[in-house]
Amino acid sequence: MEGMIAIWQRDVLKFFRDRARLFGSFVMPVLFLLIFGEGLSGTMESLVMSGVEGEENFQYVKFVFPGIVAMTILMTAVFSSLSIIQDKEFGYMKEIMVSPISRVYIALGKMLGASTVAFIQGVMMFLLIPFLGIRYDFINLIKVLPFMFLLACTLASVGLLIASLLKSTQGFQLIVQIIVMPMVFLSGALFPVSNMPGWMDIIVKLNPITYGVDIMKKVMIDVDSLSPLIREIMGLNLTIFQRPLSIMEEVLFMIIFTTVLILLATLSFRRANS
Amino acid sequence: MENMIEVRNLHKKYKDHHAVKNISFDVKKGEIFGFLGPNGAGKSTTIHMICTMLAPTSGSIMINGYDAVKQKNKVRESIGIIFQENTLDEKLTAWENLMLHCKFYKVPKSERKTRIQEVLEIVDLVHEKNKRVETFSGGMKRRLEIARGLLHYPKVLFLDEPTVGLDPQTRAHIWEYILRLKEKQGITMFLTTHYLDEAEISDRIGIMDKGEIITINSPAALKKEIGGDIIELSTAEHQATIATIKKDDNIIDVTDHGDVIHIKVQNSDAFVTQFIKQLDVPIRTLNIRKPTLNDVFLAFTGENIHKTEEKEA
Ligand SMILES: Nc1ncnc2c1ncn2[C@@H]1O[C@H](COP(=O)(O)OP(=O)(O)OP(=O)(O)O)[C@@H](O)[C@H]1O
Ligand SMILES: [Mg+2]
Repeated sequence: MEGMIAIWQRDVLKFFRDRARLFGSFVMPVLFLLIFGEGLSGTMESLVMSGVEGEENFQYVKFVFPGIVAMTILMTAVFSSLSIIQDKEFGYMKEIMVSPISRVYIALGKMLGASTVAFIQGVMMFLLIPFLGIRYDFINLIKVLPFMFLLACTLASVGLLIASLLKSTQGFQLIVQIIVMPMVFLSGALFPVSNMPGWMDIIVKLNPITYGVDIMKKVMIDVDSLSPLIREIMGLNLTIFQRPLSIMEEVLFMIIFTTVLILLATLSFRRANS
Repeated sequence: MENMIEVRNLHKKYKDHHAVKNISFDVKKGEIFGFLGPNGAGKSTTIHMICTMLAPTSGSIMINGYDAVKQKNKVRESIGIIFQENTLDEKLTAWENLMLHCKFYKVPKSERKTRIQEVLEIVDLVHEKNKRVETFSGGMKRRLEIARGLLHYPKVLFLDEPTVGLDPQTRAHIWEYILRLKEKQGITMFLTTHYLDEAEISDRIGIMDKGEIITINSPAALKKEIGGDIIELSTAEHQATIATIKKDDNIIDVTDHGDVIHIKVQNSDAFVTQFIKQLDVPIRTLNIRKPTLNDVFLAFTGENIHKTEEKEA
């Protein structure tokens, strides 16, 4: 157990020492915020305001922002898992693997390291809220934190499994592009995914980010007070088998998903010889 | 229990390449066991299997009474290892690297500070403890790795080429530390090196070549085994000298090394006094010596270890 905490602390400590990484990981989300938030908001807002009676202060950015935060978490979580491959390349993984720490704890320690870093980055995104001209209830921002951490764990476990199977950084970049980018686009983080063709809809529903983003939106934006049409347009009525999903169910799905991935990564560590 | 390590019929196959071929040997409690062999002999592969880092294709390994395949965690607790390549976290300080190791090996909290201080003193890095490892020289890194390997008081310490790439002075220092350790803590040591003079400190040496162990014995016994004394001779007339030597019945072996002829005989004193009388060409140099481990290595592997070094570079 202490070994797990030590592995976890090491990755967090190293993150704070690496200033370039700290700021570098903000570039992409801010860019997306500009494109999807500012760029699209004119169109979206006039669309909504012309369609819905009495919706004068609809702000598109308010709906996109949680998705962008989720994306920040995703990027950071997955790229922090890269530290496993770097540890392999620089030899430190041998020091970890030859020690008597149980392999589950190695997997958990690495996963928690990456998710803590991702969570911190996600929270730091909140600092942008005043500059975007939007407002969220402070209580809601506090309430969403545990869900953000859960999402970070889920995504870190994806990165963990990929990294545990690979030996080189190049392979990782490629897999990230093939797996992670589609996961972002088919999650509702950047645009609503409520009216997708059948096969895409299956991916959307199997994608754990979908649920993370959905929870974040539900908690941050007071969904119940919105008119049904806005919920429809903004894709805030996620259903599975024509049944609306509760936050509890979504959380459960993410926990199961994360557990399975961590177990697979543990197996891969157990098998790994060197 | 007499033996710290017992290896039986250990075999490792990589795809179609047999890196270690059915080897068996023991390492006694408290001894320094030297493992020699040319590049690619299978030394590191053997160490990795003993240290639970690599699954053997077949065979069994017992360390400190535990099975290296079935009781991995018990074995991991019993051993310390200095890998052939660097495994420090260079972004962290020396002290942080050591503290992490204490946590990985569950060193009792109350003892951590004193133990870290103790190992830092052994390797002379007390004043550098708060510097990042990336600022260290090669020798300092190596010393820090050795210190780290000792933190959890292992029963066996594996050192895979601990002095590779270091200058002679640093190498001498490191061996000094290692010997001091052995005296103080009675740790069993398993080491590999390409510097044969360093292997002299071993109680026993195993020579490995192409995946097989060719011989195991004490350095003195190995030298005795290849026998006799070696006379290095160069004369004004090389070929004529060789012809004369070959007529002599007392010689065991003659090898031609360009200008110098190596003559191996049972007793150099008797041979030289006799031989000089027969030789009618002027002698340029004459040097008599006992066999070194390099001669042993040469005799067993048919290779000069310095040549294999060059190949590597
Ligand atoms: N992961 C691997 N896959 C395939 N072959 C390997 C692997 N690791 C080592 N080998 C091969 O096994 C043989 C033994 O390698 P090993 O590293 O054990 O040699 P060594 O005696 O330690 O040599 P050196 O003195 O260079 O360190 C070599 O021929 C090497 O190419
Ligand atoms: Mg080696």
